[in-house]
Amino acid sequence: MDARQAARNLEVIRTLMERTTQYQLLTARAGLAAGSLAGVGALLFLYLDAANPWQFGGVWAAVFIGSLLATAVSTVLRGRERGEQVWSRQARTVILALAPSLAAALILTVFFFARNEHLWLPGVWMLCYAQGALGTAAYSPPPIRWLGIGVLLAGAVALWLGPEWAVPMMGAVFGAGHIILGVVLFAIERRQAAIRLHRSVA
Amino acid sequence: MKAFKRLVEELDPLLHERGRLAIVAALAAVPSLTFTEVRDALEMTDGNLSVHLQKLEEKGYVAIDKQFVGRRPLTTCRLTKSGRQAFTRYVDHLEAIVRQTRGGMGA
Repeated sequence: MDARQAARNLEVIRTLMERTTQYQLLTARAGLAAGSLAGVGALLFLYLDAANPWQFGGVWAAVFIGSLLATAVSTVLRGRERGEQVWSRQARTVILALAPSLAAALILTVFFFARNEHLWLPGVWMLCYAQGALGTAAYSPPPIRWLGIGVLLAGAVALWLGPEWAVPMMGAVFGAGHIILGVVLFAIERRQAAIRLHRSVA
Repeated sequence: MKAFKRLVEELDPLLHERGRLAIVAALAAVPSLTFTEVRDALEMTDGNLSVHLQKLEEKGYVAIDKQFVGRRPLTTCRLTKSGRQAFTRYVDHLEAIVRQTRGGMGA
């Protein structure tokens, strides 16, 4: 064994250890789809009235459900491509870690809509999203941690800017933010495909 | 150069095999994994994985627990204390080999 082989073995070990602890089925496709949907959602308010709670709620509920579906479909497809179980131990861990933030977001959404203060929700959603992302960071690819930190700061900015900036902030953070995430995940996927460590080891 | 050769010779031969090293590395990150989880994570065949696990169990590096959940058999594998120590030693050796060469190149 030479030093190059030793270094490669160390990289293989690191990757395998990550592979058993990290949720690997999050895809670039899901990030790009969620970002595009949020971007379209924000652009719709060129024609719709964000102050109208039905229109605001309807658009963002559709974006949320669409993103969820895109994530579910791309996860199932990725699982099939890799021959991996979709409902794995890692998937259950990630969903359990996300649950408190989702519950908090739901309760606060109802609270703000009931008081007709829904334009404050983007900042609240961003803070909840950031909590979720940071809560799952230990089991997710590294960009998720940075996404969490970025959205946490953006949430504070959204609350500081106030309701006038609700829609642009949604477009910038959930639209552009997810597209950037998708591009980063795409680069990681390409790197992993090039390395194909698990195939070369097992 | 002698020190480098000695480091290479000291690598645990049982862990030096790629398949077994992959199993131990996967198990080192978590308390335990089922047979299916290890097989899927490493893309090994059932037979190949069984043979490697048996060798690791014989050496006392891996503990295998077989039980039934309902009517289905469930095999769980975990790294033993000596398995974890052997893995740590192996990784330390690899790092030493890399350091040794980098040191040699720098000199």
